Amino acid sequence: MVTTYANPDGRFDELFAGKGVPRAHWSRLYSTLAKATADEIGAMRVAAERQIRESGVTYNVYADPKGHDRPWDLDVLPFIIDSQEWQVLEAGIAQRATLLNRILGDLYGPQLTMREGLIPPPLVFSHGGFLRPAHGAAVPGDVHLHIYAADLARSPDGRWWVMNDRTQAASGAGYALENRLLVSRTFPKLYRDMRVQHLARFFATLRDSLLHFAPRGDGAALVVLLTPGPFNETYFEHTLLSRYLGFPLVEGGDLTVRNGRVWLKTIGGLRRVHAILRRQDDSYCDPLELRSDSALGVAGLTECARNGTVLIANSLGSGILESGALLGFLPRLSERLLGEELKLPSIATWWCGEPAALEDAIEKMDHLVFKPVDRSHNLDIVFGNDLDEESLQDFRSTLKARPERYIAQELVHVSQAPVLSRGAEVGLEPRCVGLRVFAVATPGGYMVMPGGLTRVASSAKARVVSMQRGGGSKDTWVLSPGQVDTSFTLLRTTVTAADLVRSPAGLPSRLAENLYWFGRYQERCEDTARLLRLALSLKLQENEDEENSQLPIHELASENGLIAAGEDADRELLRAAVDIEHPDGMPRKLRTLQQVAFHLRERMSHDNWRAINGLLDEMPEDEGKAVPGALQWLDVVASRLITLSGFALDGMTRDHAWRFMSIGRRLERLLFQCAAVQCAFLHDGQSGLSWLLTLSDSIVTYRARYMTSPEWLPVLDLVVVDPSNPRSVLFQAGGVLDYLEVLERSYGPCGSDLLRPHVRFLQTLDKAKDLNPESKALREAITGLRGGALDLNDRLTRCFFNVRQSPLISSFGA
Amino acid sequence: MAEPIRYRVSHETVYKYTSPVDVSRQIAHLSPREISWQEVVSHRLDVKPDPGERTEGVDYFGNPYSSIMVDVPHDALVVRAESEVIVSPHSPAPGAASPPWESALAIPGVWDRTTKLDVEQYRVPSPAVPVLKSTRDYARRSFADKRPWMDAMLELTQRIRREFKYDTKSTTVSTSVEEVLELRSGVCQDFAHLMLSCLRSLGLPARYVSGYVLNRRKDGKDSNAGADASHAWVASHCPAHGWVAFDPTNGKIADTEFVTLGWGREYHDVSPLRGVVRGAADQKLAVAVSVVPVEDPASV
Repeated sequence: MVTTYANPDGRFDELFAGKGVPRAHWSRLYSTLAKATADEIGAMRVAAERQIRESGVTYNVYADPKGHDRPWDLDVLPFIIDSQEWQVLEAGIAQRATLLNRILGDLYGPQLTMREGLIPPPLVFSHGGFLRPAHGAAVPGDVHLHIYAADLARSPDGRWWVMNDRTQAASGAGYALENRLLVSRTFPKLYRDMRVQHLARFFATLRDSLLHFAPRGDGAALVVLLTPGPFNETYFEHTLLSRYLGFPLVEGGDLTVRNGRVWLKTIGGLRRVHAILRRQDDSYCDPLELRSDSALGVAGLTECARNGTVLIANSLGSGILESGALLGFLPRLSERLLGEELKLPSIATWWCGEPAALEDAIEKMDHLVFKPVDRSHNLDIVFGNDLDEESLQDFRSTLKARPERYIAQELVHVSQAPVLSRGAEVGLEPRCVGLRVFAVATPGGYMVMPGGLTRVASSAKARVVSMQRGGGSKDTWVLSPGQVDTSFTLLRTTVTAADLVRSPAGLPSRLAENLYWFGRYQERCEDTARLLRLALSLKLQENEDEENSQLPIHELASENGLIAAGEDADRELLRAAVDIEHPDGMPRKLRTLQQVAFHLRERMSHDNWRAINGLLDEMPEDEGKAVPGALQWLDVVASRLITLSGFALDGMTRDHAWRFMSIGRRLERLLFQCAAVQCAFLHDGQSGLSWLLTLSDSIVTYRARYMTSPEWLPVLDLVVVDPSNPRSVLFQAGGVLDYLEVLERSYGPCGSDLLRPHVRFLQTLDKAKDLNPESKALREAITGLRGGALDLNDRLTRCFFNVRQSPLISSFGA
Repeated sequence: MAEPIRYRVSHETVYKYTSPVDVSRQIAHLSPREISWQEVVSHRLDVKPDPGERTEGVDYFGNPYSSIMVDVPHDALVVRAESEVIVSPHSPAPGAASPPWESALAIPGVWDRTTKLDVEQYRVPSPAVPVLKSTRDYARRSFADKRPWMDAMLELTQRIRREFKYDTKSTTVSTSVEEVLELRSGVCQDFAHLMLSCLRSLGLPARYVSGYVLNRRKDGKDSNAGADASHAWVASHCPAHGWVAFDPTNGKIADTEFVTLGWGREYHDVSPLRGVVRGAADQKLAVAVSVVPVEDPASV
């Protein structure tokens, strides 16, 4: 089965030492594969792919609200490193992290490295990653670099080289963890027998170290994970790490600065944040002192960092070290700052900002690759040997005009490792690989993750190994010299009964707001589907009662924005059902629901998310846009929405999060039911009543109870005051009131006073006297409830939810 | 020989919002910087409504700043700075003897203990001050080989004054140097950014200076452009003279007619007020500045 595996051509082969002879540390995997049948291997791959889909592991290449994330691309064959080789790498990585941390401390402090000429000043001063407001920050424990990642590659002679340093907010550690879970399940026996080192201790160390270094005060230490949000390509990893480390996942808008400290806005008020594990680029972290166009930041965060009241991992400004221009200066810096030789070499790199380096680089351009020093310049990587004579000329002048923007790097033929073929044939194929390794700062120095994320080129020909460019990944197995240290397991068993969390750190306000609106939009979609179905089917029926009901139905449709004033009602209703251009129509409302749901992804199961993704599927094409096609589509939508509400009913714990969603849902239904009843009262109540029962989904109950055609008293009893009918006005209002009372026990008054008097009033109505359209009391009760519900919306917003921040216009002098 | 001049400066900024703002956070660079030739006699910054929080600090460039937070709902924010300063003569005369301008260039690739970071940091491009061929070519007309530094600097300053139209309507805070060069008009920030780009494109260190220019001279005649608002100009460094300031808006060396608030790489480093508000739908800005010489500096 390994016949298709090509011999390396000028590359180091990870699997084979010589032709057909596997290296010692690969031999067990190799013989396992050699013994397995094609079917067994195929089944392995399929099982892993299914697990990836089921656990919803994604990497968003072009993230969009429709959820077209790419499933995580994992090759189930692990990448294997033997223990001796690893010890050398480990020492090199730890030393390098120590060195880079020292450099950060210097650049954001005394700047002796520049004063003494160890680093050319323009290299630092012209780089967008050098954040001046972060200079002089009181960094807890003098640790700037909490998490460090290095991209390694192996050259044909078998040596490892550092290609890149990742110091800003390196991604991949969480994916490495996910890969481990999947691959150790695929090869459970091999995993045990080969004594693969475990990853869990690394993450436990990360958690404990952040807590150790974090400043104290204002209660138990709270560490949050700051994400730019669901549009980020590694959002899945943010949610995974947040759960695994137990750090709440927050966006910039969830945090605020008061009294020189950072706080998390929860529905219960502000909670001090002691440390921020940041997955957002530093320049976007504070619109006040850093990029003013950032909508993601926390105004005032930089000042807190300067005063040391919050730990930011990694520290603001650490992105400067991602300038490849530094690579060539590291050996001397290591000698001067650490008094040690640099153990792990960087790939030969020259900063073109140095005149001598520029000259050399121009001379041997076709042997080099040119990379921008600053990602924010949006320049392309240029391979010298790709250029024809003309583009060579062009690039030469680009380079000469702004040499300081580029580094020149030696081209490396990186090593290859086997992957399982994707095609019909089961077999092995070679792919170029790179290894991303991670280190975490601890009070006793840097600890390196025994493993990492192996990245695989997208095709046999690809020479760039990058997740952004469509590459895949592998689990990385580092073999243990002796017994595997299992003092930490992946699933923490250290939770005792006393640690059980019934309600997490405090529900972030933004999350509560999104849940509330998710509830409202879900209900709004259902109501719209039911109303449109009713309105469109009127035309198809010949019933006197139904004809009378056209007026109130159209009135209700107008109130809900489905029929614009002055337009032909029938045409408008059809458009509202199927036309995405209709501003308040069904498709547009479903899309809004999807958008709200998108911001709640961390809270959704995969099944739930798939149901939301599919809401707009199979929308009728042009020919289906007649009434029968539209009705069919509305039926489909209605049943999908019911499936969706089932998830909330069955799948969510009854905590405050669920309560906010439920309040949203009930409040929306309350408003809709009140409006429907008010429309029924129009035209002196002469418009028939079956429509109201149909719309309220109560016709079945009515028939079972009364066996007569609809009459006012029993209809109003059922749709307004019956406390056992889940569609009645009183049922909604009572439900909202119950939830509010629970919230008020935790957070104090938040709006039950707005509904309670109206509910009481409704309960005390005299059924014999007031359940008819002429009753002034009934009309007042409905109007009062509607007003109360709208006021409650405002009250909840004020009490619990966020208001957006906008940048201030700058004063403009003369 | 010119005398020290004592100034009273007031600078009022009013933001009006169409809907109430709940939280406003500002960083103000409105306090004059203490310099060997500029003594800050007094300074106060008043904010209405009263700020819930306020701290003072010194930024990366050595400028004083105030950080302010107002957390009561408000539909107007008033920030008023009142300062008294004494500015002593400090600039060389226009005809002063000066070495060739190339003496202010760095030696390529040579960095050692003699490197002055405070000069080097202003030699490189910054977000609003790009290094361009066009501005280099524009500057080159005044920077002939071996021309004395003062002559070349002053001529560039005066050429910008002559060849560009002062027009408060033609540009905004986000107009780029390329556009200003194209438009041939703008206001003080535009001319300062343009001149910075000219100088840095030649490889010369140059920084942006924020402050005020005297409205009217003691004789009541000459009025300077840009005097009714905050002003901006440029300082460049030459080993023979140190930092010397030039005002391209008025085509002159900046000396005792100018009150300095602070300096940085460009406008954004020292903008008088920058901030973030929460809640406002729309906002209007009004600024009033007055710079008045106080008659007898010795009498205090």
